[in-house]
Amino acid sequence: MIRPLLVLLSFISVIFLPWLVTIVLVLVVATLEPLLPFAIGIFADTLYYHTASSSYPRYALLGIGVTVAVLFVRSQLRTSIIRR
Amino acid sequence: MRKTFSARHNALFSSTELSWGAYALTFSVFLLLIRLAAPNFFLQVCAPIFRSADYLTAETQRFFASFSDTASLALANGNLLEQNNALINENQTLIQKTASLEALLGSATDETAKRAGEILAGVVARPPESPYDVLVLAQGSQAGVAIGQEAYGAGGVPIGVVSSVTSDFSRVTLFSSWGMDVHGWIGSATLPLTIQGVGGGSLIASISRAANIAVGDIVSVPGPGALPIGKVVRIDSDPSSPSVVLRIMPILNPFSITWVVLRDSGAMFGNALRSATSTQL
Repeated sequence: MIRPLLVLLSFISVIFLPWLVTIVLVLVVATLEPLLPFAIGIFADTLYYHTASSSYPRYALLGIGVTVAVLFVRSQLRTSIIRR
Repeated sequence: MRKTFSARHNALFSSTELSWGAYALTFSVFLLLIRLAAPNFFLQVCAPIFRSADYLTAETQRFFASFSDTASLALANGNLLEQNNALINENQTLIQKTASLEALLGSATDETAKRAGEILAGVVARPPESPYDVLVLAQGSQAGVAIGQEAYGAGGVPIGVVSSVTSDFSRVTLFSSWGMDVHGWIGSATLPLTIQGVGGGSLIASISRAANIAVGDIVSVPGPGALPIGKVVRIDSDPSSPSVVLRIMPILNPFSITWVVLRDSGAMFGNALRSATSTQL
């Protein structure tokens, strides 16, 4: 039950909380939900992206990078001999 | 050989662990499509959310700014420090004033403080602000000050005579004033001599060589008894003269007198005052 609450809190933090809090929260929740950084990045760009501020959707790209990194780390942990 | 599928080794698409992340991603993509398809509708829907977020952000910043306004806190702290320093200085002034008054009048239980006919006066101006060897006092005829009254400094040391009086102020001509002649005594034998003021806070006296006066002997003037006013600091001796000249330093530094007591001691000092050339009325 904690996961949906953390996901919801991450979306709310994009709107109401400082961006540093959002980053920390998303990084923490990303260990449980690896796709969340990508989703939050798209959500942030959906709300705030404008061509005058940036030529590319930086939040979405940053979210993709974090998601890929988290998934890579998770895959390495699961296939390592430590878990066997 | 049968190959089995293991979901544990496919971490990228484990449906059981990515479900809420996938839902979130789906929701975000859905919102993105709405914005791309109907940007005006999207902004109309999001506008109240943005306004509430702006309001919340402003209130939050104002709340924390009340704690982090270091400039106003530093200013208030500086003002308090200045007030504290002013109070400390005022306290020191009052302590010094109390000590001066106790030195003049004794403690509150001292009977000398209750003697009638004494006038306590603060020194408004002293050398070098006032003319040399003259003190200006903040008491005048309204307080009972009269010409000829004797002025006493701390410890009951005679320092001069009231030479002029106005309604609110008065002037005291010190014994060291030029032309001021006072009869007094010197030494433990109380040998009589005439003390002359030579200006600049200095006194001289002439006495016979046979008196065997030494440096450090105390010079006194009449008051209630013999009151010391100075001590011999140098003896000028001329072999051709039967007398020696004594250089006398007043006990009280006229430059540092802050309070005096005025008391009528008779016509003795009034006569001395009339011989002072610089304080003729």
